[in-house]
Amino acid sequence: MAAAPLHEDDTGWYLYGVVANGADPPPVAGVDPRDQVVVLAEGPVAGVASRVLLSEFDEAALVDRLADAEWLEQKIRAHEQVVEAALASGAVVPCRFCTVYRDESELRRFLSERGDALAEALARVEGRVELGVKAFAARPAAAGEASQAESGRAYLEARRREQQARQELARSRGEIAAQLHERLLAAAEDGVVLALQSRDVSGRDAEMVFNGAYLVADRGRFEDALAAISRERDDVGLELTGPWPPYNFVSEELSRP
Amino acid sequence: MSSRDLDTYRPQHPAQLADVLERVLDKGIVIAGDIQINLLDIELLTVKIRLLIASADKAREMGIDWWQGDPFLHGRNGQGELEERLRRLEEKAGLPTSEREEE
Repeated sequence: MAAAPLHEDDTGWYLYGVVANGADPPPVAGVDPRDQVVVLAEGPVAGVASRVLLSEFDEAALVDRLADAEWLEQKIRAHEQVVEAALASGAVVPCRFCTVYRDESELRRFLSERGDALAEALARVEGRVELGVKAFAARPAAAGEASQAESGRAYLEARRREQQARQELARSRGEIAAQLHERLLAAAEDGVVLALQSRDVSGRDAEMVFNGAYLVADRGRFEDALAAISRERDDVGLELTGPWPPYNFVSEELSRP
Repeated sequence: MSSRDLDTYRPQHPAQLADVLERVLDKGIVIAGDIQINLLDIELLTVKIRLLIASADKAREMGIDWWQGDPFLHGRNGQGELEERLRRLEEKAGLPTSEREEE
């Protein structure tokens, strides 16, 4: 990619998130490192944004870009870095990846039209963080019995036993997940259950049995609750991630203008 | 690793790509309100990114272009449906169902 500076004609605005009017711009590079991340104030709120080439981020180009895993990871990490840097100095309503406006006036119109709702959303997450909790169970014994069976009947019986074992496992995992969520929710302001990640995605040997996100005001209290669960349950391993920008606790219409 | 060893801990930094993806991508990409690019299966996308990044140079050499040809990302074709139908038929027949994990 050429290192030429960005020209206004070919650029749009990439919006990372919304902060309170008066917040400083986060001191990090944006998804296009040639342009600085700035805050565009409008009423009570301000957009954290930087200019990007429309040839790189507009619809047609984007579909191709998304096929480039390296590009995608780089830009997603850059997006996350900007939002986290903004979070370090105050509340943020984070936008999803690739929220792009063709010009500054479109971006300002969003900020002014949705100013009140955005200010409310900021107030809701002020002083709170999103924490992620995942629980892993040991992997069940490999289901290889049936393939070693000698007769057809033995095979079918073995398959049935395997199926029962799987159902039993699924039921107990469902209970674990429900119990975990209930107890963590009691120590948080809000919580959501996220999709489980497969082993390929989590990068772990153990199987994920629970994946949740919580909006937390009192981190000490939340982590105490987690530690208590961990002491009581030796059948699961717990993993805490974050603090995250509150992606899971802003309404979709705000984070997707 | 025993499950006990896991205990409460924080994973390595930077954050796991999968955790970032499930947050920043959500269910799709929306540009300026009017354009929507659907990502039907974030999980699949994550796996692919992980695999491709693991061998990014090799992937480039081979000119892999999984996005374009991927039925999951372009709308589901009949495959998942077929599997589901097979599973239902097997259940109906009282047979143990096909396990996708055995692939």
